[in-house]
Amino acid sequence: MTDDILRTTDLTKRFGALTANDEISISVERGEIRGIIGPNGSGKTTFFNTVTGFYQPDGGSVHFDGEEVTGWEPYRLARRGLGRTFQIVSPFKNMTVRQNMLAVQTDDGRSREEKRDRAEEILEFLEIDHIADNEARGMSGGQQKLLELGRVLMLDPELVMLDEPAAGVNPALELRIMDHIHELNDEGTTFVVIEHDMHVMKTLADSVSVFDSGSHIAQGDFEEVSQDDAVREAYLGGTTAEDDEVPI
Amino acid sequence: MSGPVPSLDRLPGEPRYWYAGLAVLLVAWPLLFGAFWARIGLGALMWIGLAQSWNMIGGYAGYLDFGHGAYFGIGAFAAAVAMAQFGYPFLVGFGLAILVSTVVAYLVAVPTLRLTGAYFAIATWAFAESIKQAALVTGITGGTFGLSLPRSPETFIGVPVPFEIAETFFYYAMLVLCLATMALTYYLFERHEFGYRVKALRDDQDAAESLGIDTTRVKRQVYVLSCVVAAVFGSVHAWYIVYVHPNDVLAPIITDRMVIMALLGGLGTLTGPIAGGLLVFLLERLSSVFLGSTTFYLPLIGILIMVTVLFAPSGIIGILRGEVDRDDVRKNVKELGEKFDLL
Repeated sequence: MTDDILRTTDLTKRFGALTANDEISISVERGEIRGIIGPNGSGKTTFFNTVTGFYQPDGGSVHFDGEEVTGWEPYRLARRGLGRTFQIVSPFKNMTVRQNMLAVQTDDGRSREEKRDRAEEILEFLEIDHIADNEARGMSGGQQKLLELGRVLMLDPELVMLDEPAAGVNPALELRIMDHIHELNDEGTTFVVIEHDMHVMKTLADSVSVFDSGSHIAQGDFEEVSQDDAVREAYLGGTTAEDDEVPI
Repeated sequence: MSGPVPSLDRLPGEPRYWYAGLAVLLVAWPLLFGAFWARIGLGALMWIGLAQSWNMIGGYAGYLDFGHGAYFGIGAFAAAVAMAQFGYPFLVGFGLAILVSTVVAYLVAVPTLRLTGAYFAIATWAFAESIKQAALVTGITGGTFGLSLPRSPETFIGVPVPFEIAETFFYYAMLVLCLATMALTYYLFERHEFGYRVKALRDDQDAAESLGIDTTRVKRQVYVLSCVVAAVFGSVHAWYIVYVHPNDVLAPIITDRMVIMALLGGLGTLTGPIAGGLLVFLLERLSSVFLGSTTFYLPLIGILIMVTVLFAPSGIIGILRGEVDRDDVRKNVKELGEKFDLL
């Protein structure tokens, strides 16, 4: 029997006549790195928003760590151990890096001192401790991505959902972010990652779920899904490619 | 700007000597300068405290409360009703001001804090207006006649006190309240994680929620706190002024002043409301006293607001901290010049 940390069953989200997520059923095993790919508008971010409580689902359910959490408010899920980042990075720009970390609220009864120590530990791990007293608005885009990851780590999350962690980041920093994700994953943190950069996805994800037009159309390892007919259809728009490679 | 956050302690020499000197000056003020300047001083202290109370919700939390003055009036009327209608001493009225403002603020917070931006501003403005109208037609508040408060030595705590309840007493009362407001703001908003959460929800509410912050709860807490502080000042003001009328203590200008003071000084900063409060209050009072004009300061304030919004959005404190971007200023001047065909 698999140990699923996240399971969605027939999860549905509609915006008027548009069905952004159509009965999506996905299971994410504890300790894996799951990639989510799909063309623009396929419902990946809506899926993130519905799972993490930012959208109320129109149908289906979400189970996290063995507990039904459908419709929970985002802050409750975060405190329960489900962390996430956003497509557009959103540091609290008028606060210092350290204050950004200390703003995070948990239910684990840590003292202020313990929280400060944990923040220092994480900043050191992410190699941004030297700018701890700088205001976040002065950080580079890459540093902001690291800060965003750092804040999520303050939750000591079981599962982290990352929405395009490598977008707009230079290759050196992209590698650093990937290394951090691998390192955290080795320590037991599960990741669900949306990413358009297929090179990143290929090296990062243990398995990949593919979305198209609001549906979950395929799942498997990267090589497997890139050969899948439905995935080819989604990415190539129905044309028959001579080339074996899906341009993803 | 990407360097470390500037420290407030930029004064030459040891900051503690400056603080000690300021403390001595504040304490000795009415003794050194007499009743007139004590009155000026207590007015300045009250407005600094009120501007700070608005700054909590408007500056730190980013919710533009245009009905904040209502709580000043609620505090004033709570004290006035307790003292004038029921004969209780001021301390009971003071407690009642805290109680009533807490309950009202919470009841207002639940529906209005679901709104943001202009909608929140309009809802709070409408609330303040309705409170004023209600006070004008309600018997217990004296209706259109207002209420007169007693001010004999036993009206403070219920038994006679061995000092005079006059300018000096009210100066020290306002000094204590103002310092308490500053200390509370400093601790809660600048040092405590609560303040980081408030600023987090101002900068990005979704991100704040995703990091475990119950933004609904935090917003309500800040709103209620800021309203209670305004009410506390209102209650002391009522006793000092001995007569309260809805057109005075519930006037929209009270909110306007708080907003202007916080904006000119620097929104979301500890020292901004001090700078803005002093500037606006002294401009108004001194132009009235020395120039004999009660309106002279108004166009001046209007110009100052325009200049601040256009060229120094972080206010006087931002200018002192060197946060004004000269390129932005040049750009704005150029754009304005082009727009009005001046260049």
